Amino acid sequence: MHTELEHERSVTHLLRELPDAAVRPYDWQEFQRRALAAPAAAAHVAGLRALAAVIVITLAVLATAIRFGAGPHPAHLLAKPVASNKGAPAAGGEALRAERAATTAQDWLEKLPREPALVHVGTRAAVETLEDHIAQVDDLLTTERAGSAPAERLQLLQRERVQLVNSLVQVRYAETLADAAR
Amino acid sequence: MTRLVEIAVPDEVRERACAGEAGARQLIYAAVAPPTFALIRRLIGNRSASEDVFQDTMMILFERLGEFRQEAPLGAWLRQIAISRCLMYLRSPWRRVLLCLDAAGERAAPALAPATTAALRPEAIDLERALATLAPTPRAVLWMYEVEGYSHAEIAASFGRSVSFSKSQLARAHLKLRAWFEPQGGRPTCTLS
Repeated sequence: MHTELEHERSVTHLLRELPDAAVRPYDWQEFQRRALAAPAAAAHVAGLRALAAVIVITLAVLATAIRFGAGPHPAHLLAKPVASNKGAPAAGGEALRAERAATTAQDWLEKLPREPALVHVGTRAAVETLEDHIAQVDDLLTTERAGSAPAERLQLLQRERVQLVNSLVQVRYAETLADAAR
Repeated sequence: MTRLVEIAVPDEVRERACAGEAGARQLIYAAVAPPTFALIRRLIGNRSASEDVFQDTMMILFERLGEFRQEAPLGAWLRQIAISRCLMYLRSPWRRVLLCLDAAGERAAPALAPATTAALRPEAIDLERALATLAPTPRAVLWMYEVEGYSHAEIAASFGRSVSFSKSQLARAHLKLRAWFEPQGGRPTCTLS
């Protein structure tokens, strides 16, 4: 922990000292030239972008349609959420199993590249939202544990986390299928 | 390093620029362009994309100069415009695809031209390279938090996300930088002091 803090301080210091000279912009004349050329170029680029976007989306949809269901589905990775929190010993055991399964799922997720080779807008948004929710639940779990919250509350949060990880696995799996089909 | 947020422009120059005088606009451009472009380049990464965002930012500056209310230095106002344009760029689905497609090419090329790296300290060059390996979102969060001094709440508001998002993105960026600076075979690294 101490080394991590030292590292962060060193990085922060170096970041603040990075000189602007390494990244100079173009001069005033070039700025004016671009400002004059901007309206015509924007219309041309917008047309090209629309065409390219249609092609990319069509390819993504085709690739997913062709490949979906062909690869091994990581069903074994999906954690089973605890159905009920009645009966403390049984629920505790199930929660433990669910947590282990969630850990396996997270290991699988961590082996994937951060960004898929082929980006599908909808799935990327879903991934970011799920990651955001998982981070929020993690924050809550840390706070509740530090405050000695009741076991039921912790189980509830843990269950929610497992469900979120499951959803993330499914979305990322769909992305890997789309990538594999490229 | 010049801090954009501290750059102020004399009222007289600003008023002439508002009236459309090219000389006054050129003076303002000379004062604010280098730190503005540096900020945008750090947040976006890709050179050509950074130039597009920079051009937009500077055009907005001159178009809206009359709306500047002098509650803070002009640089602080411009920084807000620049960061907002960068985040719009990073959020745009089309541009996300472009950045992904460009990523391989950028990684293959040196992060900086030899002429500029010659003037930098070895650890700064290494940090430039390390920054280039970060994904755009954690890099933007890292820069906003560590250099620009934004709080997690402000970053979260800029991205339209939660405070946890900002914290996790920052932790992710530090983790990756830490891994970069750990000694590995085949890649020369600098030790952070």
